[in-house]
Amino acid sequence: MSEHTLHVKVVTPNGVVFEHETASLVVLDTTNGEEGIMAQHAPIISALQISELKVIDEATDSEEIIAISGGFGEFSNNQLTIVSDSAERAKDIDVERAKRAKERAEKHIAASETDDIVRAQTALLRAANRIHAVTGNK
Amino acid sequence: MAASLQDIQRRIASTKKTRQITSAMQMVSTAKLSQIQRHGGSYTVYAEALHDVVAHLATAHINNVSGTLLEHRDVEKVGFLVLSSDRGLVGGYNSTLLKELMSQITERQLRTDQVVILAVGGNGADFFKKRGFDVAYEYRGVSDVPTFNEVREIVKTVTTMYDNEVFDELIVGYQHYVSRISNEVHLEKMLPVSTDDLAESKDDTKLTADYEMEPSSEQILGVVLPQYAESLVYGAILDAKTAEHAASANAMSSATDNAKDIIDSLGLQYNRARQSAITTEITEITGGMAALN
Repeated sequence: MSEHTLHVKVVTPNGVVFEHETASLVVLDTTNGEEGIMAQHAPIISALQISELKVIDEATDSEEIIAISGGFGEFSNNQLTIVSDSAERAKDIDVERAKRAKERAEKHIAASETDDIVRAQTALLRAANRIHAVTGNK
Repeated sequence: MAASLQDIQRRIASTKKTRQITSAMQMVSTAKLSQIQRHGGSYTVYAEALHDVVAHLATAHINNVSGTLLEHRDVEKVGFLVLSSDRGLVGGYNSTLLKELMSQITERQLRTDQVVILAVGGNGADFFKKRGFDVAYEYRGVSDVPTFNEVREIVKTVTTMYDNEVFDELIVGYQHYVSRISNEVHLEKMLPVSTDDLAESKDDTKLTADYEMEPSSEQILGVVLPQYAESLVYGAILDAKTAEHAASANAMSSATDNAKDIIDSLGLQYNRARQSAITTEITEITGGMAALN
């Protein structure tokens, strides 16, 4: 591992979803706004939003987008671990399914009582995030 | 005598069929067991990463725990999350768990109205309903290898109930998978999250760095703790399911063995009956010949 790259790992209950050894920049969307992490960053723990995680590798000029539903990121010893209860790489996302989930969530929000509304809103955010991860950047 | 010979034959045939079924069920359970074990392996990575951070946060940085899952409330009601199976045919899997839970309830001298039961799996739900407990939540039909998405609903309901003070302490009762041939009942207090346990296990964590917190450590704890609690409950469900498959494979394997024993002893009986029938016949024939002479 060179000095200018860092190791990124995205962990979910279903296992390690994504791992990249030589990232040059990782952009996190924290609850306080966007934050870029490069190699040798000071140790940090940050809470994440339902958002997209951007992993950029300058050596190969590649960029990977991962849709994550909250959780947090922990960086130390040049290793960034994202712990989230679900995460998908943009290319693995089933857009049709996400769209259906979005419609369902919208219906729930329109119809439901206060109790379910938070849950439905979260579901809507997740779905919208997934769709954006696939379509929004092309 | 001939009727009894036929009877025995019929019993042998039916026991053979039963044995075929139980041995098929054993194989199915064994397959499910290895499937869920693979899945459990990938979950462990997640649980460990989460645990490390929570242990680090909870022991080092927290002064103000009120309003978080670390806060201890006065216990008026105790929630029991009972992870039992939907089906039978799993040996003592359910009965030992339920017995253990009942003795815990008596031991702590909890009245029926101080107990809130959250049942995952039909057996536990039926058991506590029959005994007049308040079954506040019931979920049946957890799949053989539960995914986090599937369980999320259960987990969210449980943590929301805790937040709404439906109960002030959550104990999760389940069969812990020890090995292919043995399980162990675990009754674990999962909420409020215990800092002592975390401190104890802190030596194992790899996290020693002095972290910057973004935004504040309290806010991070607010995000991380619910996620941690969810992961604990999911881990328990996964563990319970693993144990269930193991128990079922075991029960079916001993059923198959028993069927074999029965078939053997029936075969012996059958031969004896056949022999005595032949002997009677020969005696009759020789008797008849003697009479002719």
